Formats: sequence, structure tokens, C-alpha cells
Amino acid sequence: MKKVFLLFSFFSIAAFTVKAQDTVKTTSDAPLVIYGSVDTYYKYDFSDKGSQIPTSFASDHNSVSIGMIDLGLKKKVGKAAFVGELSFGPRGQAQSIPNGPNGDSFHIQNLYVSYDLTDKLNLTGGYMATFIGYEVISPVGNFNYSTSYLFTNGPFQNPGVKLTYAFSDKVSLMAGIFNDTWNNYTSTKKVNTFGSQLFVSPVKGWTAYLNLATGSTSGTEVDLTTAYQITDAFKLGLNGATYSAPHDGGGFSGVALYPQLAVSKTVTLGLRGEYFKTKKGDLLTLGPPPGQNVKAFTFTANIKSGPLTFIPEIRLDHGSSTSFLNHSGDPSKSAGQFAVAAVYAF
Amino acid sequence: MKNLLLTLAAILYSGMVFAQKDSLSFDERDKYIYYKLVDQPGANADTLYNRGLYFLTAAYPKKTLALSKSDKAAYSLTAAGSYMVSKKGLVSNSDGGSLSYTLKIEVKDSKYRFWLTDFVYQPYQRNRYGSSEPVPGGDVPLEKASAKLSRVDFNVCLDQVLVNSKQVGDKLKLYMLKVSSLVKKQEPKKVNKISTKDW
Repeated sequence: MKKVFLLFSFFSIAAFTVKAQDTVKTTSDAPLVIYGSVDTYYKYDFSDKGSQIPTSFASDHNSVSIGMIDLGLKKKVGKAAFVGELSFGPRGQAQSIPNGPNGDSFHIQNLYVSYDLTDKLNLTGGYMATFIGYEVISPVGNFNYSTSYLFTNGPFQNPGVKLTYAFSDKVSLMAGIFNDTWNNYTSTKKVNTFGSQLFVSPVKGWTAYLNLATGSTSGTEVDLTTAYQITDAFKLGLNGATYSAPHDGGGFSGVALYPQLAVSKTVTLGLRGEYFKTKKGDLLTLGPPPGQNVKAFTFTANIKSGPLTFIPEIRLDHGSSTSFLNHSGDPSKSAGQFAVAAVYAF
Repeated sequence: MKNLLLTLAAILYSGMVFAQKDSLSFDERDKYIYYKLVDQPGANADTLYNRGLYFLTAAYPKKTLALSKSDKAAYSLTAAGSYMVSKKGLVSNSDGGSLSYTLKIEVKDSKYRFWLTDFVYQPYQRNRYGSSEPVPGGDVPLEKASAKLSRVDFNVCLDQVLVNSKQVGDKLKLYMLKVSSLVKKQEPKKVNKISTKDW
């Protein structure tokens, strides 16, 4: 009897396995999706005087270190959707997100809900990755492992409420009101930063975002982020931005180019060339002192094996002032580093 | 021995069920095609054309399948469709991309044929907000998608193309069989009401 039962079970499983493959979910009610990444790296600063180049992540010199584990949940039912994304590890905590009042950290990358008011108009509110800039916190979203000066000194997250209207799949406009300071879970006093993003896709493969964030507390940043997949193998990205701190307190301007060439199905080579200049004023950036500039060149390879990406990278920075130390410990205008990272996305 | 035979029988059974599945083929342009010729005795070309037209306007939301060309003289209908294909994830599948295709229906007296072809794969990527979005300039004909996808994901994609094509085909066959595929009159739904006054 037991054998017959087992055999029946086997036949049933075999049949249902095939049956189960005969359905494709085509409704808009997507299942709960779990996504995320983990990343780890080794970095060596050529002058062996600690970590000198002020990249947001990959900050530990001569150390096998961790980035973060990033765990996200998202679901959309009908017109309503949510995203909740938490991270654990230096990249997701102290290196990007301020700690809470008791020294704890909420580790939030994204926490928002959204609702499609119409087919073209979407309302989203919560704590969201910033709409400004080319690079992001998640290592999955960046080609280079170290980050640009523009990213490091710009906003990471903006809590607020925004409306996005899609005129077509080629043009959309976002406008929103955000908390008075960047990267904080709560406002210090007001919700008075205005943010806007105009998206255009002039030709197939070319996207451009013109961004503005302005507020009396947070200052004003105007940003252009664009990328063009010119051929199947060659992509060119560009990020240009200028930031003015409140009350003429200084700021920065910069431009970064991101040419990338896929040399095979699994290997892509890329260069990031950046020019970053600080304005005169009180603001001290993570970069050169006020009124100075720096040029940074980062050669990166992405070697993919399924969900795993190896990222070897060499970076050379040269500033107008002696912001770095050389191997002898003397002030230097130049610094260099090597890093290799592994990023697993799921 | 008995167990061995039973196991072999079970494996053969499951193999046979798999063997009954449809398959994608290549057409004269070396494009993937899902092609079916269906005999339907007793139905004239006009009837089949109208049923096909109704199928393309009523069976799916416009975002999923929409009529793009109708030619009554040639008894030919063309539609453009798309659907999401998933990518194998660790815990759950996620949006790997979308698949667009062309559906063509041609009818004659007592028979019709249809085929799905011109499949184009549009890969998706996760953006900074955790949402999936198309990779700009990343769309590729299905015949060349193996160059952009891992072997596993490409095979999953092909499976889903086949399953979806079969679903569309099966649904079309149902619409073609209907005695009247004209717009159904919505009959008011009868609600049984319970009277609490009399008891």
C-alpha cells in the first residue's frame, strides 16, 4: 500500500510539475519580490599611508573588508506598491547613513509607498534614494567600486513626497517636496526642499535626467545625469553638477565621464574621468579644500559570472593642492589606490 | 526489481508528458516562431475573421496584446503583444525583462492559422529605488538574446516564450470556437436577497 501511495505521489508530482510550467503570470499583481546584494573588497593605497582618496565606500586600506548586505522587499498590487530596503554593514551604515539619536542606525536604503493615480501619474512618499547623480549606494548600481567626488559630496537619500507624470515613455517630469536636510530620516524643522527631475530619452538607448534640489537649509544642486548606449558594446555616461551651500557658504562643481566597452559577454572595461572643483566658502567637502580642484581617473573592469561580479580597479587622483601624502609621508598632490571587489546580486 | 521497473515506468511517464509539449521553431528568416494551423470545419472565413478580430480587441488588455493591422480583403490580422519574463532568483523570481512579439492570424473557409514571431527581449535592471526598469538600448531579438543572458536565464526565457505562446494560442482557439464572439451582453447579476420581514 505504501509503495502504491508513493508511486501515485510520484506520478502526481511529475504531472503537476509539467502543469505548473504551463502558466505565466501576466497580471500586474506581482508577487512579493526579495532582492539585494552582498559585497566585499580589498583595497591598497599605493603610498601605504592609510586610505587617502575620499571615496564613500572601499575606504579601508590594506584590509579585506565588507561593504554591506542589502535586503529589499517589494510588492505591487493593482495601483499600490511598496519598497522596503535595509542594509547591514559599513557601506549601509556609518559610511552612508547617519546613526539615530541613540547611536543606532536604522539601515534604511529605501522605504516608500507609491500609488498610480492614473496610468501616467504616480504619487510616491517615504525615504527614497536620491534622484540626483549618476552613482548610487548599492554596489549593484555602480560600474566602478570606488565612488566619484560628485557622488560622495551629493545627497544619498531624500525623504519626501513626489509626483511623477509620464508624458510618454520618452519624457517624464517629477516634482516633489522633501525634508530640509539630506540623508536624515526626519527633518530638522521643515519640509522645504523642492526637488524636480526632467527625464528625456531623445533616441533609443539614450537617457538624460536634469535634476534640481533646492532649499534654504540644504542648499541648491543642479545635476545632469545622462547615458547613451551608442553601440551594443560601447556606452558613454556623463554626470555634471554644481552645488551651492546656503548663505554663499561655498559648494562644488564637477563633471565625470563614464566610457565603458564590453569586450566580451562577461567582461566590460570602463574608465571614469572626473574633474571636481570646490567653491570658495566655509563648506568643507570630502575632497580638496575650498577653491581647489582634483582630477580623478579610475580604470575598472567588471567580470561577471552569473550573479557574481568581480571588480578590479585602479584609481589615480591628482589635485591642485597637496591634499595627499606620498610613500615617504611628504605632502603630495597625487594619490593612487588599487581595489578588488566582489559583488553578488540577487 | 519490481521497484526498479516501477521507477523506470514513472520516469518514462514524466518524459512522455514533457514530450507532448509544443516547441518553438525557426521560420524562413531564422526567427523563432510558434506556428499553428487549425481546421475548423463549418466556419466560413468571414466568421473566423470576425472572431479573430474580437479576440484581438477583447481577450487581453491593450498593454498586453493590441491589434495593429486588420485587412479584411486578405483575411489577415496582425497584433503586437508583450509580457514580462522572470529571472531565476535565490528565493523568488524577479523581473528579468519583457518580451514583445508579433501575432499574425490568417483565415480561410473552414480553417485558420496563426503564428507568434519577431520576439524581442528587453532586459530589465534594478534602479536606485529598488524598482525594475528597462535597460536603455538593451533590447535584442530573441535569436541573439543568448549573447546577453546566462545560459540558465536564456533557457528560462525560451521556456516562458513557449508557455506564453501556447497560452495565447489556446485562448485564440477558444475564441474561434465560440458560436458568437460578438460583444457579450452584460446581464445584471442576480442577487439572492433574504427578506427579514417575513418569517
